[in-house]
Parts: sequence; structure tokens; C-alpha cells
Amino acid sequence: MIQVIGLHKTLGAQKVLCGIDLIVPEGGTLVVLGRSGSGKSVLLKHLVGLFQPDAGRVLVNGEDISGLKERQLGPIRKKVGILFQSGALFDSMSVGENLAFPLRESGMFDPELIRERVAEALGMVDLAGEEGKMPENLSGGMRKRVGLARTLVSRPACILYDEPTTGLDPIATDSINRLIRRLQKRLRSTSVVVTHDMKTAFHTADRIAFLHEGRIYFEGTVEDLRASEDPVLVNFIEGRSGESE
Amino acid sequence: MFHIIFHAFGEVVLRLLRYVGQIAFLMVETFESIRVAPLRWRLLLNQVAEIGFRSQLVVVVTGAFTGAVFTAQTYFQFHRLGMDSAVGAVVAVSLFRELGPVLTALMLSGRVGASIAAEIGTMKVTEQIEALRALGVHPIDYLIVPRVLALLISTPLLVAECIGLGIGAGYLVATEVLGVSRAYYVTNMLSFTTGRDIKMALIKGTAFAALIGFIACEEGLKTANGAAGVGRAPTQAVVIASLVILISNFFLSFFLNIFFPAGTY
Repeated sequence: MIQVIGLHKTLGAQKVLCGIDLIVPEGGTLVVLGRSGSGKSVLLKHLVGLFQPDAGRVLVNGEDISGLKERQLGPIRKKVGILFQSGALFDSMSVGENLAFPLRESGMFDPELIRERVAEALGMVDLAGEEGKMPENLSGGMRKRVGLARTLVSRPACILYDEPTTGLDPIATDSINRLIRRLQKRLRSTSVVVTHDMKTAFHTADRIAFLHEGRIYFEGTVEDLRASEDPVLVNFIEGRSGESE
Repeated sequence: MFHIIFHAFGEVVLRLLRYVGQIAFLMVETFESIRVAPLRWRLLLNQVAEIGFRSQLVVVVTGAFTGAVFTAQTYFQFHRLGMDSAVGAVVAVSLFRELGPVLTALMLSGRVGASIAAEIGTMKVTEQIEALRALGVHPIDYLIVPRVLALLISTPLLVAECIGLGIGAGYLVATEVLGVSRAYYVTNMLSFTTGRDIKMALIKGTAFAALIGFIACEEGLKTANGAAGVGRAPTQAVVIASLVILISNFFLSFFLNIFFPAGTY
């Protein structure tokens, strides 16, 4: 379970998060919605200690990770995997080497076992047999899949997705959405998906939180969100800017 | 007017102090990492090959041609005074105490410093460093320690190579082209060159290696603003490292001369 209590963060002169309280239940999927620049990715990166809060706490399975030093965060990060917006693949390594990297760093050195785990993770994201390709030869969707496979290969208890479908065509988006849902069912892992794509939100969420002006403006189920008549939420869901022609 | 100049000067001093502080923090973190984290031998050997082995051509050419031209110029001046046989000693001592370490370091800051800053800078702006952290790998352990250690191992060897080639080329120019007596050239060179000169060269080389490594890594780690930032990082690394090498060499020469005085007495 992940719990965020009274999280505040200022970047430069901008107050990005102003007292966020959130709970992600074990095995559940929380989608964090919000406009671009609303602080969704900043919030997500706090959950794995990539950002340290100015105030407030982040608890991962009951352990407070705020204020931990980089070295102390290592074991926590092995339990919480994150898929970056760009995939963040190591461009000097092949797909197979990218996936083997977290295994070797965890102390696994048996080449046969590594090969098996890499093949299994690539199979989960429908990229079986692509171990030899270099990241520069992959499409945007494939990069995200490989990034996801690299996250999955260590079998984390919790997976964080940072804008998993941004920049993808509608078919690739649908394919990633189905993949996320399939993995949730198969692995029963706790998931947090940050997105501004309503299709992704409705497809993957158990619960939805809407981040607006640094605060959680709404939290509830997909049905609650669909039923809401709040103009801020309705405009966001329907993609209306509210400006006149 | 005085207020504006004072303010501008203060800004420069503050920026300089901030930069020195950042480098000091990076040094502390690196030495902490060397102390507590297991060394990645494969990465270290790769970096020794990249930094040490692949820098040899540029160092060899620099050493050889500097030694050759320095010998020629020294000969042209000394010949008028009838001091041809002292050329070898002057060239050797100069190469050991100043030219060898400084030229090797300047060449390395261009070849290696720029490449380190560009590589780490690219990783920074493409979220690869955040990915390392997210996978529970400390970027200092994985990126900085192997590069800094490889520089510390390789640079003194490259300095020795540069000096050796410089002296060798100088010997050939002096004896084969300018007609200086081989016996006098070698005898005077050996009698005026001491172990202290060699120690000074190696200590300077090691100090410059640390400066190049930490400055290049710091410039890479603080890269921002995408492609423009990646373009700026290596330039900054080379300019700053080169200036720091030249300035610190002046102070190092005086400081090290206390422990390793020049001359044969």
C-alpha cells in the first residue's frame, strides 16, 4: 500500500503540490488525472523517492521514505518499479541488456536464469524475441513496452506509470491500455497511472484522483467521475477549454 | 559606479564559491561511494580502455612534437652561448616538471572531459539517470566512480608516456638533426634529472586527472534544457577544466617545489 500524507512541493518559484493526501490500496489501481503541468509526474516521482517533499510524508508498505538518503532508497526502489514517460531506456544497451540490467544489479548472475527472465518479461509486453534490437531502432510504442518490461523483470510489488500513452497513436494507445489492464490482472500488483488521457483513465482505473491547482480536487470511482457535474471535471473529461471562439 | 562594480565582483565570487562547493560535494560523494559500494570492475576496465588506451595517439603526438620543437628552440638559443650539451637537461626537466603533465591534462580535458560531460549530460536529459536511480542504482557508483578512477589510473601513465616520447623525440632532433653530441646530451640529461622531477610529474598528473574527472562529471550531471544543454556541457567542461589546470599548475609548481625542489643539490 502507498500512502501520501500532506505532501507539499515547490519547484523554483512555483508551488506544484499543496497538501496532497492519497491512499493507493494494495493490489488496486489509482489513476491520477490532471492537465499538463499540474504536477502529476512530480507526485508520481515522490512515490519512489526521486523527489523529496518539502513537507509531508510518503509511506510505502508502512515505511516512511521521505527524508531517506539515496542509498537507503535502493531497497525500496527494487519493490516499486516506474515506467518513465519516454521509456528512459539505456541507449548504449540492447533491449536484452536493458532488461538484464536490473537483474544483474540485484545480484543475479546466472546467464541462463537472466535469459529466461528477460524472455518472460518481453513476452508479457508482446515483444518476444526482440532482445537484440537497440533502443534507437524501436518505435515510441515499442520503447514504452520495453521500458515496461524492464520495470516488470524485477517483479516489483508496485508499478508506477508516468504518462504511458502520451505521444502514441490511437491503436498503440489502446494496445498499451490493454497491456496495463492485463498485467494488473495477472500480477495483482499495486499500480498508479498518471495520465491526461481519458481513455487510459477509464480503461485502467479502479479509482481516479483529479489533481488541480496543486490539490486533489476529486477522488472516486470511474462511475463517480462520469456522474459528476462539476464544471472543472466535465470540461476536462470532454476536453473543453471553456474559451469562446 | 563603485557599487555596481562591487556588486558584479561579488556575484562572480559567489558563483565561483558555489561551483567549488558543488565540486567538493561531488568529491565527497564519490569517495563515500568508493568506501561503501562495491566497485564495478567491468565498467572500470571499460573506462580505462576508453580514457587511457584510446587517448594514447593524441598524447603521443603531443609529447613527441612538443619535445621535438622545444628541443629545437632551446638549441637555437643555447647554441649561441655554446651550451649545446645542456639542451637535453633543460628539455627533460621542463617536460617532467611542467610540459608533460600540463599538456597531457589539456589534451585529456579536450578528448575525455568533453566526452564524459556529453555522455552523462545526454543521460541526464533523456531521464536515463533517473531510470538508474529508479532501478536502485546510485548514479555516483555507476557513472562517476568508474570514470574518475579510470582517469586517476590512466593519467599518470599517459603523462609518463608523453614525457618519454617528448624526451625521445628531443633526443632524435638534437642528435640526428642538430648535431649535438649524443654522449653529452644523455649524460647531462641524466645528471640534471632526478627522482623528484618524476614524482612531481606523477603527482601533477594525478591532481589534474581528479580535476578533469570531477569537473566533467559535474558539468554532465547538471545538464538541463535538452539538446542545447547537451551541446553546452562539453564546451563548459573543456573550458573550465583547461583554465583550472593552467591556474592550479602555477600554484602546484610552487607548492610541490617545497617538497621536491628543482636541481640536483
